[in-house]
Amino acid sequence: MNCEVCQLKELVVEPFEIREVLRCILHTIVFHRALGLVRPKDVDSELFEITYVQCGDAELEKKIEEKIDHFIGWVDKHPNRKSQVCLSFYEVKSKQPTWFSNKIERLHWEEWYVNLHVVNSKGHGKFRQNKAAVDHGENSVEERSSRRAVLETSLRDVLFQIIKFVNERKDHIPQVSNSEVISFPYEITIPSSSDSSFGWHTDMFKRMLQTGHPNMLS
Amino acid sequence: MASSSCNSFSEPAIMEQIITEFFTKSVHIILESRSPYVSSRNYSGEQFISSPSPSSSSSSSSVRPRHQWFNLALGDCPAALENFDLWRQSNLEPLVIDVVLIRRPSRQHHDSKSEKIVERWIIQYESRSNGSVTRESCPGAKKSSGGNSQSSELSAMYKKTYKKSIIMLRSLYAMVKLLPAYKVFRDLNSSGQIRPLSLSHRISSFAEPFTREEEAEMNQFGFTPVDTPCGRLTLSVSYLMKLDDIRSETSTPLPTQVIPDYVGSPTTDPLKRFHSLPSSLPAYASFSRRHSWSNDHGATPVSQSPSPTYSNACVFRANPNSRVPPHNHLRDNAPSACSVPNNASTVHRKKIQALMNIGLHLHCHPQLPLALQCNFAMIINIMPFCAQRVHQSIFPYPGMGRIICKTRACPSPSKAKCVKPGCSPRVDIAKTHISTSSAAHTSSPECKLQAKKELFRMGDMHTDIMLHKALYLGKDETGSLSGLKISSCTSPRLQISRSSSRLSFLDEFDDSEFPCPFAVDEDIIDSCNSFAVTLSSFHIKHFLLTMSLSNEVSVQWSYEIHDQWPQYKSLQQRNFSSMFHQNRIEPLDRQGQTADYLETTGLVTARKSQEAAVSAIVKMLKNAPPLRPEPSMQLSSHVIRDETRTSSMEQNTVAEVMASPGSSASVAGMTTSEFIRSRTVADAFEELRGFKERKELLLRRIGSQISESPSKDS
Repeated sequence: MNCEVCQLKELVVEPFEIREVLRCILHTIVFHRALGLVRPKDVDSELFEITYVQCGDAELEKKIEEKIDHFIGWVDKHPNRKSQVCLSFYEVKSKQPTWFSNKIERLHWEEWYVNLHVVNSKGHGKFRQNKAAVDHGENSVEERSSRRAVLETSLRDVLFQIIKFVNERKDHIPQVSNSEVISFPYEITIPSSSDSSFGWHTDMFKRMLQTGHPNMLS
Repeated sequence: MASSSCNSFSEPAIMEQIITEFFTKSVHIILESRSPYVSSRNYSGEQFISSPSPSSSSSSSSVRPRHQWFNLALGDCPAALENFDLWRQSNLEPLVIDVVLIRRPSRQHHDSKSEKIVERWIIQYESRSNGSVTRESCPGAKKSSGGNSQSSELSAMYKKTYKKSIIMLRSLYAMVKLLPAYKVFRDLNSSGQIRPLSLSHRISSFAEPFTREEEAEMNQFGFTPVDTPCGRLTLSVSYLMKLDDIRSETSTPLPTQVIPDYVGSPTTDPLKRFHSLPSSLPAYASFSRRHSWSNDHGATPVSQSPSPTYSNACVFRANPNSRVPPHNHLRDNAPSACSVPNNASTVHRKKIQALMNIGLHLHCHPQLPLALQCNFAMIINIMPFCAQRVHQSIFPYPGMGRIICKTRACPSPSKAKCVKPGCSPRVDIAKTHISTSSAAHTSSPECKLQAKKELFRMGDMHTDIMLHKALYLGKDETGSLSGLKISSCTSPRLQISRSSSRLSFLDEFDDSEFPCPFAVDEDIIDSCNSFAVTLSSFHIKHFLLTMSLSNEVSVQWSYEIHDQWPQYKSLQQRNFSSMFHQNRIEPLDRQGQTADYLETTGLVTARKSQEAAVSAIVKMLKNAPPLRPEPSMQLSSHVIRDETRTSSMEQNTVAEVMASPGSSASVAGMTTSEFIRSRTVADAFEELRGFKERKELLLRRIGSQISESPSKDS
């Protein structure tokens, strides 16, 4: 099955910006894939001068928030890294049972990779990159605000990128078979679960990974 | 499923419909975020989905199917689109929407009005007969096998086209919010400030070419076309990326005490965030513009006009036929351009606009005289700057009394007549009132001073986008009055669509004489200072009045008027509104740090969490004023605030709150956290019930024209 992959431009973020960045991006993506009757909800980002659109689906919002929480938790333990959050859409197909799988198979038809480079501006001085800066957390106000402006522009670019992508790639989207707001099953994967097992025997991989090194990335 | 055959020149009927709806939806999406009165930003998604249009019964049957096209439910169909359907003749014509940023001539420079196209959207259906679509993209036309297979093919094609256009419109929706003009739109729409800028739009079927320089400035974005069986739908936008220099000029130097983004901003509206509240809470459930939109929609000819400003324009034209401009050129939302005769002088135009604003206000609420009184109070009563008298003086002062009585004496059917007689003496009344009240009222020395040299300046009539009227002024020499802002937010569209008597009232002003003194005689107005009134239009009508007295006291007082709503809703909303705004009352810092101050208060917190939001409601409810002065209520409402007041302010009505500097700390400290613990939603309901009772009481009383003071209530 044709699986379209979109690698979004990398964003350099500080930990406290992760939440808003991911909200903007994930909600924007899902909005374009929620083909049911949507009453769009405009949300002004708390951090950026950006208004993004939500579907107004409470469950989706909850799920996204949860995943963001997990991701932030992961970032706490793995500071100053590049990492990925993947939002993927799939179809559920039943499949011939084999010796190691369930009967249900997830056929992914679209994957979005949100690339984040988390930098910790305060503390962890030795990890700091691109900063000629001084002591921990003593960035000048100007530096902070200019950095914020840069991030805002980049984030906007990423949202444009999403819009372009959804416009250009439409043929691979499967038929809508339900009347749900969120038309297609989706999942959000973060590094702690794995980045290589999307939807495919995730449980097993998870189990393996949880005992081993959680980070397959960076 | 239509099975008409597809030749290269016409789409099957179902496709034609999709195309038509695609145009309509696109325009809707764009205008919703560019043309203020069309905006539906203020409703939440849950509200719509869980309880679809609880109050828009009048429109639900006819409008809702349209909502659901492309599975994208927007706000109620803007009136602009009804015109749009009439206006539009063929899907083969391209549709060009120019979003124009208009800079009005500033007072200081008297330069000419400048317009700049900041966005151009082109929506187009290209038929294959144009040769612009390849044969491959049109399989339905390519194959002409048996009728059955063709129709199933068409069906599949139709579904595919529909799905793709859904996605295209989703991305259009997201795009519209991302472009820089959206920020301008929001700024203009959400704040009560007077701005030298406004957004307008032009819809036409051809694009005037850009000059080279213009073109060089513009970025382009082309949405990927959606193929239809016999053609394709294209959508593109050219936009100015750099609006920053323009935006930096958007604020006018209002007094520093005027709080920006005060009313009507979805971002500052805590109720918007109350998703956790039961939707059955009446005031909450009805706290959206939807109601005002749908009520009486189409009841009068003018209600079809694309925007309230345009509606006004139509009224002034007094020619319903002009609603649909000829030559396929629809220009709207630019009353300065279309609402007045072209040869009208600027002054005259301003007069007209002021008249429109005030006249409509004065007239809008026969059943709720209080609201009318508020209007009057705003215009006249505030002059002495005696905050505590804002409410009461409605009755005691002869001038006021006259006006009000006239208004109130009129049963609703003849309201047009009743306001009009009140109209002509009004200037005199206003003048008289100034002197009388200033003489009579001694609560503050400043008041006297003030009244003596009260200078009125009718400021910018920024009607293009906000239908603002502003009277403002600087400071008086004593500096005692640092700022005053009255913001009246109204939805002119509602007023326009009321009744024939309303229309006749308006028509009567169609002559150029304008006997109504509130046509803002600039002589008078220019002679007043230290006085700011902003009448602005929002989805929900309310007044907000901010006063500051001697740098010690700041009063904000507000009312909402919902003249189309069921009465109890109106009243509750008014209560809500006033509570809401009272909640924001801050003693002004002597250093003028109001903005900072605001940041630290509960309202800001209320945005952040639901708990805080609930507490904000409770706080509002607790501090809510009754609808008229009631001593007992004063007590209860002020107990919480722990306010101090001077003896001269005994006349305080509950519709205003005064906080002395001494109490500022307590008010400030009274952020939501305290209430979180002590109040619950149940309390809020209790309060609401109380308001309902009070409303009924009030209504009864209004009927009998009694101004006696009620003795009950909590």
